[in-house]
Amino acid sequence: MNHLSPDDLQDIMAAYKGWVEQLGANYLGGQRLEDSGTMLRSKKESVLTDGPFLEAKEIIAGYFLIQAHDQQEATEIALSSPHLGLYSIEVRPIAFPKMK
Amino acid sequence: MARESEQAIEHLFRKEYGKLVSVVTHFFGPSYIQLAEDVVQETLISALSNWSTQGIPENPQAWLFQVAKRKVLNEIERGKMMQRHEGQLLSATYDDIDLEVVFLDDEIQDSQLRMIFTCCHALLDTKSQIALTLKTLCGFGVKEVARALLSSESSINKSLYRAREKIRNSQTPFDIPQGEELNKKLEAVSLTMYLLFNEGYNSSVGDSVIKKELCWEAMRLTKLLVDHFQDNKNLLALLALMSLHAARFEARIDNRGAIVLFEDQDRSLWNKELINVGMHHFNRSLNAGQLSAYHIEARIAAEHCLSTSFESTHWQLIYDQYLLLQQLKPNPVIELNLAIIQSQIGSIESSLSQLEKLSQRQSLRDYHLLSVTQGVFNMKLRNYEQALSYFRQSLKQKPSKKEVMFIMNKMDECEKLLPKH
Repeated sequence: MNHLSPDDLQDIMAAYKGWVEQLGANYLGGQRLEDSGTMLRSKKESVLTDGPFLEAKEIIAGYFLIQAHDQQEATEIALSSPHLGLYSIEVRPIAFPKMK
Repeated sequence: MARESEQAIEHLFRKEYGKLVSVVTHFFGPSYIQLAEDVVQETLISALSNWSTQGIPENPQAWLFQVAKRKVLNEIERGKMMQRHEGQLLSATYDDIDLEVVFLDDEIQDSQLRMIFTCCHALLDTKSQIALTLKTLCGFGVKEVARALLSSESSINKSLYRAREKIRNSQTPFDIPQGEELNKKLEAVSLTMYLLFNEGYNSSVGDSVIKKELCWEAMRLTKLLVDHFQDNKNLLALLALMSLHAARFEARIDNRGAIVLFEDQDRSLWNKELINVGMHHFNRSLNAGQLSAYHIEARIAAEHCLSTSFESTHWQLIYDQYLLLQQLKPNPVIELNLAIIQSQIGSIESSLSQLEKLSQRQSLRDYHLLSVTQGVFNMKLRNYEQALSYFRQSLKQKPSKKEVMFIMNKMDECEKLLPKH
């Protein structure tokens, strides 16, 4: 693999910046989450405590978009997630884009 | 056998185990993962006994594949016998795939990819996905899986058993998903690879050699995926972020096995080759249709890897990336990071007041790293009394053994610096 020069590296960083700016407000498909919702703890007590949240440096950032009539139904769906048991899941309604 | 060749064989076995299990599972079908593992296990045992008397053959891999093939044929014969005698069905469809074909070089890679999708089956919880991946694809023994996941052998055995059962009952074909299905499945697979990497990278608990191995395996499998799904930008970003984090491996722990804070890490120990590889992957990951968390995290890791010193780090940029991440997935741990970076772009005092606010949150109330950070920042402000009380608090919040060591050291420092009465 070619060795990247400092200039190459600067170009890559600039390309990233340009790309994110170009995506603009649409980078998340125009969606963000409301600030409050339901926080689910693990289903069982005996779970691994050594999850990816341990160190402030590495963060898991994934979310599942689900359709539900209300918070309660959404919570029920989340309770069936295979990821619950090892990780906490937050259930939040999607905010409608606010016009500035 | 000499110690050296023993190690070489162990290394070879681990490498070939995952390939062979994938290939044999491809042949038998995913309902027979256990049978495939048994066949491969027996192959390795014959190799060991044969090689110890006859010496290691010139092409050990070919030898293993040859013997594995023969054992597969034996199994099929036995299956037919059982079928005749007890009406049990192994499966009658073996003629569909020629045994010679699944053992071809190209097909071996393909079988491993199918195995990755099988291990990341949506029916399995994350822990089982990771355990099954380590067991079948990475050649980890149950004991090693248990050590890697901080669990007991019996509980790993149980969860592996249940995982194989679930896969069998689901009747999922041993395939690489296509079309719309593929993107959804790739997302799940990426997340499992990410968590596998984190499992090895994040914690300071457990056997550090095994932990490192987890990271390499996560990277090896992600590389397999990247090579196959070349248009998938998120996978590239994931591989970039893994490479850039792995580059800092050697600097994170000192020669006594203690944690080295990021600020104090010897940057000359960072692996330049891995940084270079990571930046190549990052470059290829750009211009996707959407921004993924992997992209943002890779960008943050890149900034750290390319800064020549802690002081010259472009903190404002990192802060902005965390803000993006916070919008993508609001998460108290990201808020914690934002508060910590505040100490670099604002002041330690402003950072401390934000940390104080965060410590009132239910989800962070018992998070020991928050208290440790409050302690370290108070030390910087020479509030040693205050720092000591935060460190004491953090000790009650279940830090790991290595973290306890770190906290105790810091407490010693505080004691020494306290004005004498």
